This record gives sequence, C-alpha cells and structure tokens, in this order.
Amino acid sequence: MADDTRAQVRMTRRFTASAERVFDAWLDPTTAGRWLFATPTGEMVRVKIDARVGGAFCFTDRREGQDIDHIGRYEAVDRPRRLVFTFSVPHFSREATRVIIEITALSDGCELTLVHEGVLPDFKERTVSGWTMILDGLAASL
Amino acid sequence: MSDTPDLDHTLTALADPTRRAILRRLSRGEARVTELAAPFDISLNAVSKHIRMLERARLVTRRRTGREHILSFDPAPLTAASTWIDEQRALWTARLDALDALLLAEDRAAAENPEKQGSSDG
Repeated sequence: MADDTRAQVRMTRRFTASAERVFDAWLDPTTAGRWLFATPTGEMVRVKIDARVGGAFCFTDRREGQDIDHIGRYEAVDRPRRLVFTFSVPHFSREATRVIIEITALSDGCELTLVHEGVLPDFKERTVSGWTMILDGLAASL
Repeated sequence: MSDTPDLDHTLTALADPTRRAILRRLSRGEARVTELAAPFDISLNAVSKHIRMLERARLVTRRRTGREHILSFDPAPLTAASTWIDEQRALWTARLDALDALLLAEDRAAAENPEKQGSSDG
C-alpha cells in the first residue's frame, strides 16, 4: 500500500449558543483549554494561541505526569464562519492533519460542521486477525 | 481520483452483509471464486459482482494461475481508514460534547447571576 491513504471524518453539530460564541470557544485560551484538547483524567497545564492566519497554537495536557502537546497552525480565521488549522500530536504521530470548522448561524443558535482530514500512516504491521473485529465494529455503525 | 483507495468505495463495499461475509472468509486465507460462492444461496454471477465491488475498494486482489482466479484479502485500506476514523470520530464527539456542556453551563451561570453578565447578549 502507498503510505498516503487519506481519510476524512465529518460531523455536524447544533448549538443553542450563537455562532460567535461557538467560534470564540475555539480561540480563547481559557475557554478552549477547558474543552478542546482536554481529557477527563488529564490536566491542561498550558494553552498558547496565536489566533491569526499563520499563527501557531499549543495545548499541553498533562497525563499521568507526561506532558502531551497538541500543536498546529491556523490556515483560515474568519470569525464566526470558518476556522481551518493543521493539527498533530507529536507524542503519538508526526503526521500533520487538517481540521476545517464551518459555522452557520441559525435563528436559534448555530450549526457547526467539522471535517478532519488525515494523511494516514502505513498500517502494514496490523495483523489480519485484528481486522475481523474492526469489520464487525464498523458493520454496527453502518 | 488518485491511486489511493477511495474511502467511499471502502465503505460502500462494506455496507453489505454478503460482501462482509466474503471478506471474513478471505481473511482466513485466499480462495477461488467458486469456493467463495459455495456457502451463499445466490448465483455465481451475483457473487462475482460482489467481488468486483470489493476489488474496486482494493480490499480484494485477484491473481490468475492457469484458468483459476485466486482471490485474497488486503486489509490495508480498511484498517488504516477505519481505525483512524473511529478514533477521531470518538475524540471529536467527546470534545463537542464538552463544548456544548461548557456553553450550557455558562448560560445557566448567566441566568442565575444576571447582574454579572456583561454587555454580551449571547
């Protein structure tokens, strides 16, 4: 297999909050630090956000004494409609992925569409036996 | 488009119980078309159509030895795509749940302490 298999996650979510509030929740360090890359057992120890095109971000979540950085760079910052950033977690993978957020204002809140594009690593080492389980899991969700 | 497997083809290929059963059989070892068709109560022609869809998704590869067509299973598109997608979907669902909860908590706090709310009207 080529090692540039692309995959995409897309999901849509409605919020009762305004498009502006939802948009700002991604870029305000205090607010974003409370949900974006936070984990239930981790502690968000540092959030740096340079919210402009070309600006970088780094969220550091401390998990069992280990600092896990979530890093990326903003490619589009168009409040409150569109936010695009690259994203990677170097601790787990060097692969850079891209997240595209689009927010549409509604009369009673807003709708957010999230697309996360990945460039996948080669999974050659994964065994065929593990595959049947994955397939059964996938079947349940189709 | 490119020569990378198309995820839509992968998911379409998987959206059918007969095709999933064919893949399960092939995950235990390669097989001839006739061997694959045997357990199914459908025509050889129908099985061949299913196999072509699996080939299009690159989950199944075919080689010829003489007059025999031997089919084998290639899990790479499936494992790579589905593992990453499952993980990311779960992560983003949890994150957006957390965002929703956070915004609702802010709303409740504002409702309980209206005088503390700034000029923002949400």
